[in-house]
Amino acid sequence: MMAISGRSFSDIDWWILAPAIFLMGAGVLFIYSSGVTSEGLVVSNEWIKQLVWVASGLVLLVAVIVVDWKRWRDWAPWFYGAALVALVYTKLFGRVVNGARSWIGVGDVGVQPSEFTKIAAILMLAKYLADSRHDPNRFGRFLKAFAIAAIPMAFILIQPDFGTSLVFLPIFLVMAWIGGIETRYVAFVGLLAVLTLGFAVLPLYETVIADAPSVWLSVFYEPPRSWLLIGGLAGVFALATLGFLLGRKRYYYWIAYSSLLLGASLLVALVGRMVLKEYQVMRLIVFLDPSVDPRGSGWNILQSITAIGSGGFGGRGFLQGTQSHYRYLPQQSTDFIFSILSEEWGLMGGVLVFSLFFILLARSVLLLRNLKSAFASYVVAGVVGMVFFHFIINVGMAMGIMPITGIPLFFLSYGGSSLWTALVGIGLTLAVSARRFDL
Amino acid sequence: MSDSTQHGGQPVDPRRATLLLWLMGAVFSVYALHLFDLQIRQGVEYRAKASTIARQTTIIPAQRGEIFDRNVSSPLVLNVDSFAIDLIPAELPAALRDTVFQKLAMVLDQPLDELRSKVPPAYYHLYQAIEIAQAVDYGTVTALAERVDEFPGIVWRAEPKRSYAVSGSFSHILGYVGDITREELKVLYNKGYKTGDLVGKAGIEKQYDALLRGKDGREFSVVDVRGRAVTRSNRAVDQPVMGSNLVLSIDRRMQELAEDALGERMGSVVVLKPATGEVLALVSYPSYDPNLFIGAGGNNAYAALLNDERNPLINRAIQSSYPPASTFKAVMTTAILEEESVSPDKEVLCEGQISYGERVWRCWNTHPGHGKVDLEEALEQSCDIYFWVVGRDNLGIERIVSYATEFGFGIASGIDLPGEVDGFVPTPQWKERRFHEKWLAGDTMNVAIGQGFTLSTPLQVANAYAMIVNDGVVYRPHVLKEVRDASTGAVVSKVDPEPIIRSRTDPAVFAEVRSALRGVITEGTARYAINTRAVEVAGKTGTAEVGLPDRWHSWLASWAPYDAEDPEDVIVVVVMVEASNPWEWWATYATNIIHQGWFSGQTYDEAVAALGMGWIAKPSASRME
Repeated sequence: MMAISGRSFSDIDWWILAPAIFLMGAGVLFIYSSGVTSEGLVVSNEWIKQLVWVASGLVLLVAVIVVDWKRWRDWAPWFYGAALVALVYTKLFGRVVNGARSWIGVGDVGVQPSEFTKIAAILMLAKYLADSRHDPNRFGRFLKAFAIAAIPMAFILIQPDFGTSLVFLPIFLVMAWIGGIETRYVAFVGLLAVLTLGFAVLPLYETVIADAPSVWLSVFYEPPRSWLLIGGLAGVFALATLGFLLGRKRYYYWIAYSSLLLGASLLVALVGRMVLKEYQVMRLIVFLDPSVDPRGSGWNILQSITAIGSGGFGGRGFLQGTQSHYRYLPQQSTDFIFSILSEEWGLMGGVLVFSLFFILLARSVLLLRNLKSAFASYVVAGVVGMVFFHFIINVGMAMGIMPITGIPLFFLSYGGSSLWTALVGIGLTLAVSARRFDL
Repeated sequence: MSDSTQHGGQPVDPRRATLLLWLMGAVFSVYALHLFDLQIRQGVEYRAKASTIARQTTIIPAQRGEIFDRNVSSPLVLNVDSFAIDLIPAELPAALRDTVFQKLAMVLDQPLDELRSKVPPAYYHLYQAIEIAQAVDYGTVTALAERVDEFPGIVWRAEPKRSYAVSGSFSHILGYVGDITREELKVLYNKGYKTGDLVGKAGIEKQYDALLRGKDGREFSVVDVRGRAVTRSNRAVDQPVMGSNLVLSIDRRMQELAEDALGERMGSVVVLKPATGEVLALVSYPSYDPNLFIGAGGNNAYAALLNDERNPLINRAIQSSYPPASTFKAVMTTAILEEESVSPDKEVLCEGQISYGERVWRCWNTHPGHGKVDLEEALEQSCDIYFWVVGRDNLGIERIVSYATEFGFGIASGIDLPGEVDGFVPTPQWKERRFHEKWLAGDTMNVAIGQGFTLSTPLQVANAYAMIVNDGVVYRPHVLKEVRDASTGAVVSKVDPEPIIRSRTDPAVFAEVRSALRGVITEGTARYAINTRAVEVAGKTGTAEVGLPDRWHSWLASWAPYDAEDPEDVIVVVVMVEASNPWEWWATYATNIIHQGWFSGQTYDEAVAALGMGWIAKPSASRME
């Protein structure tokens, strides 16, 4: 079991590790670039700190590989519990950075427990899904699995860190999908998330972005009518459920399914609109038309798109970008690292990044076919869901086709917590890959 | 549906894994296509955009309105050209930093370390302008502009500075301006104020800030990534609108005369026209020089003022209240005549003192006392015993309070200056509530001679005498006379007289009171002190006990001419000298000088000479200008 022994480098899947290392290298280069002013002065030592994070993260990765991965399965509940405790502690005593109480630490050194919670949740969910594979109560299995992801998600949501909490959805969706949860349940969660988000931003979309608010759509958010609609849907759901229990007809089931989906998403959206501040909702929709708020949230998007667009095919050259070095690009080293890379390395650089991510992710998915252990498969699925979602949201945001949520780009963005999370995730994948025939 | 046993012992359904792979492939393809679209298809546009992106808005500050006295000669407050110097740290190369700062210190004539401390190293990479010098004159900016290439990162902007052309007693009327505080911004935000605005902090500057401040202009320009204007033709300008000019009812000559007449004595002078409520002079000593704390090092000067035990920032004419003392006897006289509760011919014997309650009440003239006095003689001689007895036995506290209130005591007059206090008129109900003690006849006796709990501002006393002059009408005292357009000089609006009190008392009663008050000057307490021949003066002295040995508040409330044909000619003058000064009975002498100077067109020094008062009045100190 404690076979720290005879494993050599040949057992490591370099198709996964090498892209990660290349991406981290590019990350350090552009974190350096982001700290250089138009005068050529280096005004930030973030790149040195990032090097330290990379080195310490790689040590962590090796440690994760060396430990027999089956032990993670036993430790999962402890990690999960510890992560939840850390989240509660953060909520009560943490430091406020960028409006969210999401940091704990002393002095300049701080960590975001919400980052590591992702790993803990992946391990816990994988363990549960593996243990309950043959549970005949398929619906109960789905509900419990969902709860495992939803609890930390709710804790992070009240920090409030909307972007980070969102990551738990794709982690759950990919793991549930790979873990054999019924399609209709997975689809329900996915659709619920999409519809809720849609209904939540609809009123602001109608007033700010759409020229002519539609009278028909207002039924989804104007208080008296939307409440009537929710009430009506609840009624339909009750009747259809009753009909299904009595008549056992298939169509009753789907009527109940749809009315619950629609009604629940309307209800959650309604609550969400009360909780979310208007500027938060604004950040979610401004990418649809950045010009409505060119001085505020739209500014970041406009500057990012301009930076990317001006990169052209070959880019303007390393350290030659004007958008970045004249400080028009906000948060260049974290949220908008892809923008500065694309400005200076052009389409070539962008496609290179895409390819590295795709190789890493595709190789992980292909690994799923060969794994003999359910737990190992589901952990890999969770890591894939996490990395994939970060990529979609962050790069999409930089290109102006996804909302601004402040989610970093794994391996590239400056920051220790997210880098360590990514490397631990990759470490887990490499570990199960190295002993893929273990049960 | 999917059953884990169906895929040959594998924990993962390979079809589901394949689907996930296809989904990823699709997303990566779409993203790559979008990237191609941004960088190749639209790349040229974005490249152009990257060089001209920012539209910059520069604020052009509006000139604040100027303030004039009623003769609209030279402004009392004006704006002088002044500049603020900013540094954009990131545009200053590190290699040049030391030399540029040294040159700057020379040009601006400011200590080097003070300049450097404004830009800490943490700011060196910022593109945000940081203010490093204020109130820089035009000549210095010209010197900078000529060598602009030696000062990379240095920019300047016009920042008109307020200059108070007159100081001394004017400062209490004019007030001063300062940077808006966070608390003020909370209140004023909805009125269009913003961080960094100048806002009036006291006096007229505060009261009429909305009229004075004007509207800032804006200049829009397209700038390149370096912040340089791309084309001048692209500029759009919203011109600033200058604030309105204000013309005050204050007469500069009268203000200076009253200031000199009061001299360096803690106290105040109010001069107003009873016919309209226009305030001609409002002096409070000590005063302050606002120019001292507008410029560099201003905070220290301001802190010194705050710590000064004499409270120079207080406008004693409206923000301090004192026992009105014997000036209140004019109110008592009006009440006695109107109420007819006792015949004005009734005589009260004054033997210098009476016993009442558990104490002996002494008239100010203890030996030999005033003898038998009727109402008119009692007022002329300011006999306390008469008013004690009549107030206690015939009038009663209820009626005294009612008349005091009608004369405007106990409530702010509503003058257009901030911070006016209400003063106070005590009532039996108040004493019960406040001290849980019954109102005693002795309390009534105290109120009857303007002592005890009664407090009034010098302005309220002036209003009470204006009421006697006007047969019962008081106009709201005001300092603003006209609002004028800054560019054309046309009168935009005028302040009209606004009656605030209309007494029901018979005008004949006021005529009798006036005649008795004339008697005070010709026959009574002030007959030697007020000896001006320039005009017939009427009025009443007052000496308030404050518990200091051999020191009293000294009052004189007066008006002149006594019997004017044109009510517009009449002025009411109230002088109040605090007991903290050595006792000189100065209110009376100051009043004498003011009437002499005003009605014969003389300055303070000329008036003192004409009155032969050189033995008692110091020559005017060289005026602070």
